[in-house]
Amino acid sequence: MLDLINLESYYGRSKALNGITLSIPKGEITGIAGRNGTGKTTLLKTIMGLTDDSSGQIRLSDKDLITCPTHERALSGIAYVPQGRGIIPEFTVRENILMGAFANRAGKRSIPEIVPELFPYLADNMSRPGGVLSGGQQQQLAIARALAAEPDVVLLDEPNEGIQPSIVEEIEAVILRMKDDLGLTVVLVEQNIGFLRRAASSFAMLEKGRVVEAGKIDALSDEMVERHMTI
Amino acid sequence: MFDVLFIGLSLSSILLLVALGLAVTYGAMGIINMAHGEMVMLGAYVSVLANIWLGANLLVAIPIAFVVTALIGLVIERLVVRRLYGRLLDTLLATWGIAIILQQAIRLEFGLSFFGIHVKGLGSGLQNVPVPQALQGTVSILGQDLNAYRIFIVAMTLVLAVATWAVMYRTSLGMKVRAIIRNPGMAAACGIDVKRTNAITFALGSGLAGVAGVLMAGFKTVAPDMGATMVVDGFMVVVTGGVGSLFGTIAASGLLGEFNALVAMVSNDIIGRAAVFAVVICVILIKPAGLFTFKGR
Repeated sequence: MLDLINLESYYGRSKALNGITLSIPKGEITGIAGRNGTGKTTLLKTIMGLTDDSSGQIRLSDKDLITCPTHERALSGIAYVPQGRGIIPEFTVRENILMGAFANRAGKRSIPEIVPELFPYLADNMSRPGGVLSGGQQQQLAIARALAAEPDVVLLDEPNEGIQPSIVEEIEAVILRMKDDLGLTVVLVEQNIGFLRRAASSFAMLEKGRVVEAGKIDALSDEMVERHMTI
Repeated sequence: MFDVLFIGLSLSSILLLVALGLAVTYGAMGIINMAHGEMVMLGAYVSVLANIWLGANLLVAIPIAFVVTALIGLVIERLVVRRLYGRLLDTLLATWGIAIILQQAIRLEFGLSFFGIHVKGLGSGLQNVPVPQALQGTVSILGQDLNAYRIFIVAMTLVLAVATWAVMYRTSLGMKVRAIIRNPGMAAACGIDVKRTNAITFALGSGLAGVAGVLMAGFKTVAPDMGATMVVDGFMVVVTGGVGSLFGTIAASGLLGEFNALVAMVSNDIIGRAAVFAVVICVILIKPAGLFTFKGR
């Protein structure tokens, strides 16, 4: 589905990804794990075309996106929920969601039908500015925005980071539904190994901008977690 | 007193017209466009040429000037500005260069003067555009005799400010522009073609400057170097109001224009202008981000 081949990426002249090759299966959740600074966020940014320079191949349904500008990647069906969520504070909840619809390939500019069901709070507060929402609500908003594009692939960067525990469970449930009900391919950067084991079908462990372990989620052993994630 | 406030209002209107385009390009695109004043100048020359060669009056020149300067803006964006995004100081130097080229192009009649050909309405001399009959004289409002042309300028400014607001806050283009102002990376990741949107924005901003030029031609002599001071005034307004804030730009042009008129009344025009600079300096010292800035987390 989404195949990364020998992906390298740069911030200015410093190399942040050192040749990542990874196959992300269609309609499943792929977990990306590793310590801080190993290139997890950079990997998602590189797929989205948001680093300064990159080389290698990003094949989505056999089309190579590496030379495409960011908006064309979005229009190819990749949606991005960044770390820090990237909500526009002055935009209302509605406007923030509709912003995602600029990447809708059917040209549909409306709130996705599933949003009120997944995020009742957002549905009830469509006219509030995004900036006044709590961190967890903003995370929901960022996911709703991604869904407005009706994408094939969603890139989620630590969706549970810095969020109150009550919403963590909700977001985890939403991520599972994105796969089960909407049939989306999910690339999930996540530090919580417990959640990864429950949700993901495969994983990749990063270290120094390289994939050091990858495979089916069953192969993710405690020993690997010990070696690559404990500080 | 009322007439002083009215003169202030018309000064504010011109400031706003020049600043509107800058507010959008500087705010949205992070470009210091020193050639913006030259778009005003070109707009004024469009009205001069339209008057001489087409017999068209000032009102007819407004849409022509908008189209001409918007297209010139588009070409400048495509050829130069597009390659300089994210390099603030480079945009300043490059667009300053463009400004000088445009000034000289008018002075040298696009090079034709080298061949002894002279185009009426161009060249280094001063030009004048007659104000249409309907806008001459005064109009009596609430017992006050007000200059009809100044009323026209205020009204045109109002129309253009409302139109700009509507484009920015009621269209999908405006939503794209506002998204790019706040977070260009996220805007692109949401499928917004940042380059294309920037090009359109730049063209619209240039077009607004062109219209300002036509209106100015009605009460000022038109000369190749008239744009240089305009761009300074424009940036003053944008910085005072807060970069990226349309409301701030409107408020700041009102404030500075009225202040200029009031101080000029009790002293003279030069002191008035100096006082405006003093206000701008104070605002920047106390609120470096301008009077109206973004709030939020």
